[in-house]
Amino acid sequence: MDWILPTTPGSASRRFLVSGAFWLLIGVTLGLIGAIQMVAPDLFPAHELLTFGRIRPTHINVVIFGFILSALYGGMLHVVPAVCRTTLVSERVAHSAWWIWNGLILAMFITLPMGLTQGREYAEAIWIIDIGILLSVAVLIYLVFGTIAKRNERLLYVSVWYFAGGLVWTFFVYALGNVVWAPPAGAWEGINDQILLWFYGHNVVGLVITPPSLAMAYYIIPKATRTPLYSHSLSLLGFWALIVMYTHVGTHHLLQAPVPQWLKVISIVNSIALIVPVFAFLTNVWLPLKDRFGRIYEDVGAKMVFTGTIWYFLTCTQGCFQSLPSVQRVTHFTQWVVAHAHIALLGFAGFIAMGTVYFVLPRVCGRPLYSKRLADFQYWLILLGTIGIFLSLTFAGLIQGEAWLNGEMVYRVLPQLKIYLVVRGVAGTMIVISALLFIYNVMMTVLSQRQTSEAVDAEPDAPALAAHTPAQEEAPA
Amino acid sequence: MIHMDPKVIGIGTAVLLIAIFFAVVLAPRYTNPESLTPSDTHRDRTALEEEGRRHYISLGCQYCHSQYIRPTDWDLGSERVAQAGDYAREKAPQLGSLRTGPDLSQQGGEHTDDWHVAHFYNPRWVRPDSIMPPFPYLSERQRDSLIAYLQSLGGTDADQRVARQWYWREQAIAAYEAGPDENVRWLHAQVPQGWLEVPNPYPVTPANLKRGEVIYQRNCLGCHGPVGDGQGPAVNFIYPPPFNFTTLHRHGLAGGATGGMLYYQIMNGITGTAMPYFKRELESAKIWDVSNYVATQFIGLSDANQEPKGIDASYEPFH
Repeated sequence: MDWILPTTPGSASRRFLVSGAFWLLIGVTLGLIGAIQMVAPDLFPAHELLTFGRIRPTHINVVIFGFILSALYGGMLHVVPAVCRTTLVSERVAHSAWWIWNGLILAMFITLPMGLTQGREYAEAIWIIDIGILLSVAVLIYLVFGTIAKRNERLLYVSVWYFAGGLVWTFFVYALGNVVWAPPAGAWEGINDQILLWFYGHNVVGLVITPPSLAMAYYIIPKATRTPLYSHSLSLLGFWALIVMYTHVGTHHLLQAPVPQWLKVISIVNSIALIVPVFAFLTNVWLPLKDRFGRIYEDVGAKMVFTGTIWYFLTCTQGCFQSLPSVQRVTHFTQWVVAHAHIALLGFAGFIAMGTVYFVLPRVCGRPLYSKRLADFQYWLILLGTIGIFLSLTFAGLIQGEAWLNGEMVYRVLPQLKIYLVVRGVAGTMIVISALLFIYNVMMTVLSQRQTSEAVDAEPDAPALAAHTPAQEEAPA
Repeated sequence: MIHMDPKVIGIGTAVLLIAIFFAVVLAPRYTNPESLTPSDTHRDRTALEEEGRRHYISLGCQYCHSQYIRPTDWDLGSERVAQAGDYAREKAPQLGSLRTGPDLSQQGGEHTDDWHVAHFYNPRWVRPDSIMPPFPYLSERQRDSLIAYLQSLGGTDADQRVARQWYWREQAIAAYEAGPDENVRWLHAQVPQGWLEVPNPYPVTPANLKRGEVIYQRNCLGCHGPVGDGQGPAVNFIYPPPFNFTTLHRHGLAGGATGGMLYYQIMNGITGTAMPYFKRELESAKIWDVSNYVATQFIGLSDANQEPKGIDASYEPFH
């Protein structure tokens, strides 16, 4: 029982972090298989479990729910008690959430290649898995709000807003988007189903993944640099603008489809307005760094998280303009969008998730990272891989879009994409190697018996937000 | 300044989320009756077509094939821009978000069933540049239901196209079964008279033969084979089988101009057979180049550069 549901503080956080690293390897390997198939479609044995149309949704779901969310929830289970200056409301309940969560990812990993799907992008998982996700999110809500309730710190640090709010949004967005009240199809009829689907699809990024990512960045960057945030007002603005703007933008995925014009206008206006929460956040964490930038480099986890915020800047600026009809005229339906999705999920959320593992794991294990040099190498490898994917697919997308507008057929443009798809495969290989090094480093850290003489953290991680006032926000100590 | 306590965060944001959900998801659903009224080309699917749609979803076809035509599109289906009512009776419409392969919303009747059989077995057997996965493991039932579904895409418009395919298919089969000479006669008879009088206006040059070869390999090889004898890898799936160009030599030029005849058949295809039209994807000069290639390499007869050829194009070499 103690092995299944341990009570050691930090142990649930540790398991979430490790499973996130494990699912990263699985997720990117699936992505590489798909990437190779687009260059050499007859390379692998022709089998339905390996066909591109099944590999792709498995890749996406494993990466989003298995890697990104596992790792970020691992960070959350450490950060929320830390900044509330208390312990997790129940370590055992957190472990049960871990078991359910990983069981669900495993179930997706098995059912999606078998073709058990609801046929809706990002909402493929079958009904019973949907219910399981809602259940584990409900458990996480209990954990976070329960921990908040027993806090010894009056003021809630901004990371906690995002963790708590993000979980509530995840619950509603997931339930609504998957039409969980209508099994087994989990879909509406008609084009309205797609309006609902993209309300969900975009909020998976905006309200499910972004909040815990921002929460970790809000925690790790000020802590690693020992620098308070720039402004409490910006924290508030960013938080409330995020929930208001993001919820409106889904239909920008359907600008060229037959949906009501007014809805398209709303989605475009709000997509542009997303600049507000994005820059509120970036200003808040970047500006205080101006003369302390070197401190980021001292910690590989913080470096990774900081790089994630640069990707956030790029992906969100690109995303704003990508919502314009004149841009989509070229980019829609092309690999450009795939490039954009990779810098959002791998660049932004993925880098923050990996940074979270590097930063939090030593703290919940009580020993330093197995190898900082390996971590640094892994950082550069995956950074170059991500840039490679972004550039190659962006070029491929521009070629497709411009050629189609020029009257070229889809079939005739395929040979022109080949070299870019090869480059993408090479970049993908770098990412898979990087994921291998990552899980190796993580496992060696967790399994090593080496007790540290060097302190992991200057202070034990029961932070004091004593100086925290709404006017002048301090870094979590 | 808002005081951020758990109630404000939990309840405040949830209320906002639900309110916006009403505005951007429920409001469009209940104020847009068009989206729930089937459009004029709608018809209900048969049980087999529905079964095929389930395989389409299960195999993840939507990750490469979209199902809606935009006003800016030129490719397959661009005769009809998508309308909301096209999806009125579909649960989880397969709109898709990528177009790695062509849009399929008007696929019905574009190709014959035997073309689809070969294409599912290995797409490169009919489309050499394709990067679609092969599906040789589909059971006959699965494959046929998928084909039935694809042939239903486009509703009643698709039905008319499919009926046209079957009408011409009967005639093409009858001609093929009547023997090679009758087959050639029938094929010639389908080319409008004017085209039979037009020789290939461009002289055979090493440069345009090379171009013709590239075009042949990217478009024709799978059925007609590398040496033009109709023994490409798709041959076992296609009936009437792909044409063997090498048999044409003994017909000479008696039946008309090879150049114009080839040009017309490549441009328009032979509806009812697996031979598709290429007018969307090959520009005029490319069709002339590939017909020069076929004529000189496989038939062994070329009427290129014969009279009447009109005024020479400015780039043409002197002879």
